[in-house]
Amino acid sequence: MLELADVDTAYGAAPMLRNVTLNVRAGELVCLLGPNGAGKTTTFMTACGVVRAQRGKVRVMGNDVAALGTEKLAALGVGLVPEGRRLFPGLTVIENLRLGYDAVSNRGPKFDLQLDKMSNLFPRIRERLRQTAGTLSGGEQAMVALARALIGEPKLVIMDEPSLGLSPKLIGEYFEITQEIHRRGTTVLLIEQNAEMGLRIADRGYILVKGRVAQEGPARELLSSKTAKSLYL
Amino acid sequence: MTELLLQQAINWITLGSIYALLALGFSLIFGVLNVIHFSHGDVAMTAPFIALAGAQALAAVLGAAAPAWLALAVIAAVFAVGLIGVVLDKAVIRRFRDAPAMMALVATVALGIVIRELIRHLYPQGSNPHAFPRLIGGVAFDVAGVPVSWFALAVVGLTALLVGLLFGFLHLTPIGLRIRAASQDRVVARMMGISDGRVFRATFLMASSIGAVAGLLFASYAGVTRFDFGVMAGLIGFSAAVIGGLGSMPGAIVGGLIIAGIEVLAQTFVPEGASYRLVFVFMLVIAVLIFRPAGLLGRTILEKV
Repeated sequence: MLELADVDTAYGAAPMLRNVTLNVRAGELVCLLGPNGAGKTTTFMTACGVVRAQRGKVRVMGNDVAALGTEKLAALGVGLVPEGRRLFPGLTVIENLRLGYDAVSNRGPKFDLQLDKMSNLFPRIRERLRQTAGTLSGGEQAMVALARALIGEPKLVIMDEPSLGLSPKLIGEYFEITQEIHRRGTTVLLIEQNAEMGLRIADRGYILVKGRVAQEGPARELLSSKTAKSLYL
Repeated sequence: MTELLLQQAINWITLGSIYALLALGFSLIFGVLNVIHFSHGDVAMTAPFIALAGAQALAAVLGAAAPAWLALAVIAAVFAVGLIGVVLDKAVIRRFRDAPAMMALVATVALGIVIRELIRHLYPQGSNPHAFPRLIGGVAFDVAGVPVSWFALAVVGLTALLVGLLFGFLHLTPIGLRIRAASQDRVVARMMGISDGRVFRATFLMASSIGAVAGLLFASYAGVTRFDFGVMAGLIGFSAAVIGGLGSMPGAIVGGLIIAGIEVLAQTFVPEGASYRLVFVFMLVIAVLIFRPAGLLGRTILEKV
């Protein structure tokens, strides 16, 4: 589904990712971990084509992301949850969700059906549909950002630190929903700082340190690995 | 005194409406691209020249000059200027959307000079002023002995209609929603499948077409057009957008009305005020930039201007 092969990226003269190779296969929930400044968000931005790889290839469902362009990913079936939610603050919740739905394809009347599904999955946002997104609480924004990525029924969802800034109760709720999405057959790349919770729901994991993949493997093995323990646990 | 005040109120609303239309274009483009399109006034003021040339060409081909030819040419000019805006965006302006503000400023000022010089050299006797007719003549009715012209009513009505259509377009159509999204976060808009190119095209088509209407009304109000009217139209439209708050549609309207109000007040109540009415206008612009740089209803512009 998603493949980064020997990817190098840089912001100006500052190298960010070095020789990063990462695969997410269909049906998997893969967790990408790393401390602050490890390059997690750069990996997200590179995977969705916002940051261009200087070397190596980024492919989504067999398509070269550099050639395709970020704006074509949604139509392929990729849902994106950027760091910090990044809802359109001046638009209402329903408008944010409409954009997420239209991104996949303009399927007209089915939007109401999908909206209902999202309201069932995220009961917190049901009452907020007509509210401006910028006025929601952090937890509500996090739910809307995920709903916006899911409303078009994507095949692959890439989430960048969705639990950041949430209360422990909301973090638990968020991880449960992520697990549920995965159970329903959606492939997930979860980029996280919360290693323990991330690895508990993931199939496999990667640990990124200073722009390089320091360790990778099944989530259970990583949970007990020295690298993961020294960094997080 | 009452008659004078009424007459000046009519002038204020008429001129304010034209300025508001000019300012809307600046605000719309800034809101979406974060670029101040300093040649927007010049683009707008190509419309009267295109309309005059079109009316003359139709008269030459189809027979004697007729009001219908001018009406047709005016409509064609609005569409043509809309397309000119789209082409200028693609060829020049969008290349500077992520560039330092100074580069965009120089590029769009230079573009304005190119447009003016092209009109001057390509249009017959382009250096001279050209008479431009009142698009609608006659008096609609009197209020306390003061005649209210059809033209004034048409300007206000057309402005209200265009503002309403623009609002409806931005809030009720899918492309309008995408434009509003892109104006708030272009990177995430791309993640939502929104193509920059389509958003910019639609924005420039709207902004330049509305600018063309403003240019035609401006020339019709003045009764004349000149190749360099674009400089003043641009400065006033930009100033109105700054006073109201760049990027804010209501701000553009408020800014247009404030500038026209100051002009009319200066002309009416200050001795020889007509000669230096713009001194008052631009003093207000300076004051707004000092004390309220985000404008009366807008978001901050400190980074980009």
